[in-house]
Amino acid sequence: MKESKRLDLTDTELLVGLAEGSNEVLLQLYRRYFPMVLHFITSNSGSEDDAKDIYQEALVLLYEKAKSGSFELQAQLKTYLYSVVRRLWLKQLAQRSRFMVRDVEKPASDEAALGQMNDDLLDHEERDRQFNLMAESLNRLGEPCKTLLEDFYIQHLSMQEITEKFGYTNADNAKTQKYKCLMRLKRLFFAEYKEKR
Amino acid sequence: METNDDIDIEQALRSYSDRMRFRQQLTAVQEQLNMEAMYESSHPTTSGMIEEGRVRSLWRAYRTTLAVAASAAMITTFGSIFLYRAYQDGHQQQVQQYRQLSKELQAVRTSQRRLINDINGRGHGLSLNPAQVAGTGFLLTSDGYFVTNNHIIQNADSVYVQSSKGEVYKARVVHADRTHDLAILQLCEDSSFRPLPPVPYCFDLKPSDLGERVYTLGYPREEIVYGEGYLSSGTGYRGDSTAYQLAISVNPGNSGGPLLNEKGNIIGIISGKQTTAEDVSFAVKANYLFEALNGISTESMKGQSIRLNHKNTLAKLSRQQQIKRVQDYVYQVKVFKHKE
Repeated sequence: MKESKRLDLTDTELLVGLAEGSNEVLLQLYRRYFPMVLHFITSNSGSEDDAKDIYQEALVLLYEKAKSGSFELQAQLKTYLYSVVRRLWLKQLAQRSRFMVRDVEKPASDEAALGQMNDDLLDHEERDRQFNLMAESLNRLGEPCKTLLEDFYIQHLSMQEITEKFGYTNADNAKTQKYKCLMRLKRLFFAEYKEKR
Repeated sequence: METNDDIDIEQALRSYSDRMRFRQQLTAVQEQLNMEAMYESSHPTTSGMIEEGRVRSLWRAYRTTLAVAASAAMITTFGSIFLYRAYQDGHQQQVQQYRQLSKELQAVRTSQRRLINDINGRGHGLSLNPAQVAGTGFLLTSDGYFVTNNHIIQNADSVYVQSSKGEVYKARVVHADRTHDLAILQLCEDSSFRPLPPVPYCFDLKPSDLGERVYTLGYPREEIVYGEGYLSSGTGYRGDSTAYQLAISVNPGNSGGPLLNEKGNIIGIISGKQTTAEDVSFAVKANYLFEALNGISTESMKGQSIRLNHKNTLAKLSRQQQIKRVQDYVYQVKVFKHKE
């Protein structure tokens, strides 16, 4: 019963669920569309792992789009995902000097959907760059700043927990330390980021 | 600005951590997947496509490549045909544009030849066995050295020269200069040849000026024919610097004839004309005649040397008088080849 109810989710409901980070919706997205992606990648000289990577990439794109709130699908979710996967895989293939794929579905073809997809892919590339740069900047930041920031922003520890973990005398002290680290990270990050832009 | 950047960096950190978290979640979800089921269900969606047939799917995948390959093949094919044709046309034109003025005599009626006065009776032999190529030539020296075009005498079995009075002598090829299209012959091999009075003309080696009035004598038919014109360019066919361009009316048979200026100096040897233009003829410059003479091996000269005349006895004469004097030294060259 539960299964059939889930299968009834519309594209919009799926997107909302995805933005909320629902595990159910993610499973659903895998069940519905991953076989198609798997078939596409494996019939275009890719492996199962390639398929997983590419689909993850596409879902990251979709997730970040969905979270931004202003996202409206111009095509069916299935078509959209297939087209994004197709483009991402083509890009990978281009690096291996291959420029042709054998389609297993019809990719998005009307102008509105194509335009939206192009924009989304460009946004995604930009965010990819930011993401990699952030990882790099964090690494270059060194200890204890790296761990401190990661604890606060990624592990979502409270200021109090951090104060205890790092042995600061009080939470204010920890806050000042966090601020200083943040400023250093900012300098590292924007030095590269603006240069490249 | 400062606060803006603070927000930016916090924002960037947050989306960074968000993506990290989401990827972890995705990996977790992926691990829950039953891959076998995925493969199984990947087939129903695709079977529709596969049933379309192997050929059609191949066609779908490769039609762009195929189109590119086909057009490349087409362009190459037609391109090479086009280029080949263009080359061929160009080549033919080149051959046709420059016509060497030797005369193929086979078509000339023998009846004309029978009218020739021939004291020695040797002309009879000639008329029975008509020459195949004819041109003009003239004496360099009174003792029998003679110049004509190389293209007239090349591949010749035997060469005869015939004066305007109809006397026929056998000639020996002393030297052939293919590059300048010149050939030096010797008539004194023939015992019947009697040295003539010294040649009346001399040779002018200086480059002649444009517009210089020039004339020639030659044998486009059995009789000697006079033609006059002017020097129109200092270079020959396609900028050939060894030749002059002339505006003079010449015909097959004129080849090898002397080109004289007003004073009666020889400035060149008629060699050809351009068929695609009116009155465009060419003559080898006289100084290349000297080069040809210098190129003669001493062996074929048998120790003798050619001494050219330096005294011009024509300068003060009228044109008609000049021609009367010169024509005795201008001969028709008849060449016999064995038929291929």
